[in-house]
Amino acid sequence: MSFALPIAFTLAAIALPIVALYILKVRLRRVPVSTNLFWKQIYEEKPPRSIWQHFRHLISLLLQLLLLLSIVLAIADPYFSWQVLQARRLVLVIDNSASMRASDVAPSRLEAAKSAAQQIVDGLRFRDEVAIVLAGSTPEVIVGMSGHAPTLRNAINGITFSDNPTQLSSAIELGRELVGQHPHGQFIVMTDGAIEADELSRRAGDVNPLVHDAAEEPIKDAENNRGTDVPRSPEITPELSVEYRIFATDAANIGITQLQARRSLIDPLGYEILASVRNASANPVSCRLELSLDDIPVDVIPLNLKPEELWTRSIEKTSLEGGRLRGVLTQIHSGTQVETGTETEASAKPDVAAASVLDYLETDNTAWALLPGRKTQRVLIVSQGNLFLRKVFEANPLVEVTVRKDFPDAWPIDSIIVLHGNLPPVLPPGNVFVVDPAGSCDLWELGETMETPIVTEQDKTSPLMNHIRLDNVMMPEAKQLQFKTPPHSLAKTLSGEFVYAEVKRANGKCLVLNVNLDRGDLAFRTAFPIMVANSLGWFSGSTGELKQSFPTGTVTTVLLDDTTNSGDEFELASPDGTSSPIVVMRTGTATIENPSATADVADFSSISATIGPLTQVGVWSIKSTQVLAEVAVNLANARETDLRPLKEFFESPQTQVTTAGWFSRPFWFYLILLACILSAVEWFLYQRRLIS
Amino acid sequence: MLFPSDFLTRLEYLSIISKRVFRGQLLAQRRTVQMGSGIEFSDHREYNSGDDLRYLDWNIYARHGDLLLKRFQEEQDLHVYLMLDCSRSMSFGSPPKFDLARHLVAALAYIALADLDRVAIIAYANGVFAELPVTRGKARILPIMKFLEDLPTSGDGTNLEKAVQGVLHRGARTGLAVVVSDLFDEHGFQRGLDQLRYRRFDAHVIQLHDPKEADPALLGDAELVDVESESVRKVTVTERNLKKYKQLFTEHQTAVRDYCHTYNLGCTQSPSVIRFDDLVMRMMRESGVGR
Repeated sequence: MSFALPIAFTLAAIALPIVALYILKVRLRRVPVSTNLFWKQIYEEKPPRSIWQHFRHLISLLLQLLLLLSIVLAIADPYFSWQVLQARRLVLVIDNSASMRASDVAPSRLEAAKSAAQQIVDGLRFRDEVAIVLAGSTPEVIVGMSGHAPTLRNAINGITFSDNPTQLSSAIELGRELVGQHPHGQFIVMTDGAIEADELSRRAGDVNPLVHDAAEEPIKDAENNRGTDVPRSPEITPELSVEYRIFATDAANIGITQLQARRSLIDPLGYEILASVRNASANPVSCRLELSLDDIPVDVIPLNLKPEELWTRSIEKTSLEGGRLRGVLTQIHSGTQVETGTETEASAKPDVAAASVLDYLETDNTAWALLPGRKTQRVLIVSQGNLFLRKVFEANPLVEVTVRKDFPDAWPIDSIIVLHGNLPPVLPPGNVFVVDPAGSCDLWELGETMETPIVTEQDKTSPLMNHIRLDNVMMPEAKQLQFKTPPHSLAKTLSGEFVYAEVKRANGKCLVLNVNLDRGDLAFRTAFPIMVANSLGWFSGSTGELKQSFPTGTVTTVLLDDTTNSGDEFELASPDGTSSPIVVMRTGTATIENPSATADVADFSSISATIGPLTQVGVWSIKSTQVLAEVAVNLANARETDLRPLKEFFESPQTQVTTAGWFSRPFWFYLILLACILSAVEWFLYQRRLIS
Repeated sequence: MLFPSDFLTRLEYLSIISKRVFRGQLLAQRRTVQMGSGIEFSDHREYNSGDDLRYLDWNIYARHGDLLLKRFQEEQDLHVYLMLDCSRSMSFGSPPKFDLARHLVAALAYIALADLDRVAIIAYANGVFAELPVTRGKARILPIMKFLEDLPTSGDGTNLEKAVQGVLHRGARTGLAVVVSDLFDEHGFQRGLDQLRYRRFDAHVIQLHDPKEADPALLGDAELVDVESESVRKVTVTERNLKKYKQLFTEHQTAVRDYCHTYNLGCTQSPSVIRFDDLVMRMMRESGVGR
């Protein structure tokens, strides 16, 4: 036996005053009485002090010395070598993914796991250490190796739900680093088992868990189970042990696994919704998928899903406005519903209680998507008259077209200027689209006419060229343009002449389409309106038709509208309303070198912010003085929607619950207990007047 | 100071009360037993129920209608012997029993003197060690008080029988004997009182005790030191022992009462924390009710 605080033995000197007081106290107090008449009668029958009376004081002294010895030893904190040598390092990996919210295990799977974790902490042996790791999308160590039970308990109590998917492998890997080279490391993974099968096999390969002897029969009826201690994977290694504890049943669930929205490529007002719903149960389920856009109902789709069915559909709708698209599963019943006209007859009687056993997880019953809005654009066409040019713009319902034959006195700054043919010497600032330039300007010099140019080269990556092929368009005539600064080619001929180009300039965007619309069939091709639509989108700065919805746990970079000042502060607001500050990146200063001219510098400043991991389902917002961007986040995880644990967990025998048993506490605890007992005995004897 | 400045005032008050309220019954009843054979007319006194009608003054009755008895010299000389226990056990208590006892003796002496009775005070412990001879007249109260004030507690025991014998040997006439004591007599209090009875004394016992004697707050190991004999006894007092002690004490008190009742002796038992005048008043009330 060793002692952690041997200096505590100096407290044994307190025994000296105890003995001294004992000796002094042995002298009896003298009490004068008026008469001994009555006392004589009382003590006539027996001697006033027997042998017991003489020695009971000694017993009191011994009790007090024992009490002092117990306290001194407790303060000296003795320990045995086996306590040090057998000390364990436990890593509790707690899965707080979305599926752990399921209520099939009362009150929830996560609460059951936390309760089991608390029991493990209560059963720690002296000098055992425990670390707690959360198995979220990013593993997180909430408590490092510690033997302080209150700290561990508080950390466990502080674990909250998340909407993240399960990532056990990263958490176990992190835990391995905490265990290090300790000879008695052990992992206990508290999860619901709703993980991918390959992740389980990877666990077995990576951490080589131990196999323990089975102590109980495996649970057959998992439906009534409230949590089972589970098995290990079969690899045997003496160094590291992984134990899985499953808190789950074969619970049924139905959830939305996909919800995306995008603008139509053809219809400016149209958009498409991609939705997927999974019935992760062995029963047929009927329900409704209610879609709404900014709380305005868009559609209600009745669903009759077979067992294990994954329902997926693309739905087309029309809306000028954008906003938040929400999908919600409602009226979940078992069986199927038959739609007759406008009424829906349920083949199974609607039962609120039945709904609760069909859907144990509510997180995936709601999904979000963001639909980009459409803005009206103003277009000023300066042309001597080209019906096709005017109509192609007028065909877009989001465009307000104004046509002039001459140049205005003041160029409108909020409009896209379409110059057909005649050009001012200096192109106006802002967004300019030049079609079939008839002269030179500040950006180029007009060259000779090209006969029958054939487009051989196109920039397929540019958004301006989406869904366009110009190589088969007949263009009898085009003008040569000698640009003062090299433009960005969108379409070129074999000889290198630009047919369609983006000219970079400091005071606005500029496109030039070097094609004679009056001659050729470009105006008749579908490429022309698509080209115009692409150019309108490009001029407006919209990033495209799609604002992707992300799964929970994602880290992403979001481009922000540059309407802010450099000193503004930015924050990220979560769906539950909590905000946290974020840092944005301002990027882009491009220098364009022109070999034939002085170098021009064009500034392209853009703001982006990297946010995440996004741990909640809903719409996240980045805002400064106003909302700058939004991101929709959904669970969107088929494995998390399927609450049923892997079958492998139920095929192996269970393990015993490992508790510390007797003598798990430090030795000083038992010494203090002995001291309390001795005090109680001394007090009892005193109260009974057996000692004074 | 044993007798404060207002002591005489209180004595006078008690004397008046004794005469006017209780008609002198504290001591007068005994007086009627003391039929004197004297012929010298001394005084009148009021007729009380039970008095001998032969001594009724017919003339006064004829003239005034008042019932008055003639008092002859022998009859009016009631000898009151106040036997004060001065053993060391009387110094026990806070305040000591001895103080109350002396106050009582002084009060009874004054009442008797005011009633023209003769009073003697005998101080005893294990025998008579001091005596104030028979005296009469209210003016004698001061020497009595001086005598009482100078009395010490002494002796190594209490022996009432020996004290009574000492009184009798001094030629005491029969009369009223008031024993003021705690009656912690290892020889037995009965023997002394028997002597008084045999000699036809009219005895009245005033037993005093300290509350701590009745209920000692004593537990555990102790050396009990008898203040009289100075004997030491090492004991361990348990709750059981304490209970037994209280029982024995109560039995002793009961034995005193029963003895006095059996032999028609006056008996007053009181803790020592009471005022002496309250105790005298109580005695008067009890004597008015009858024995």
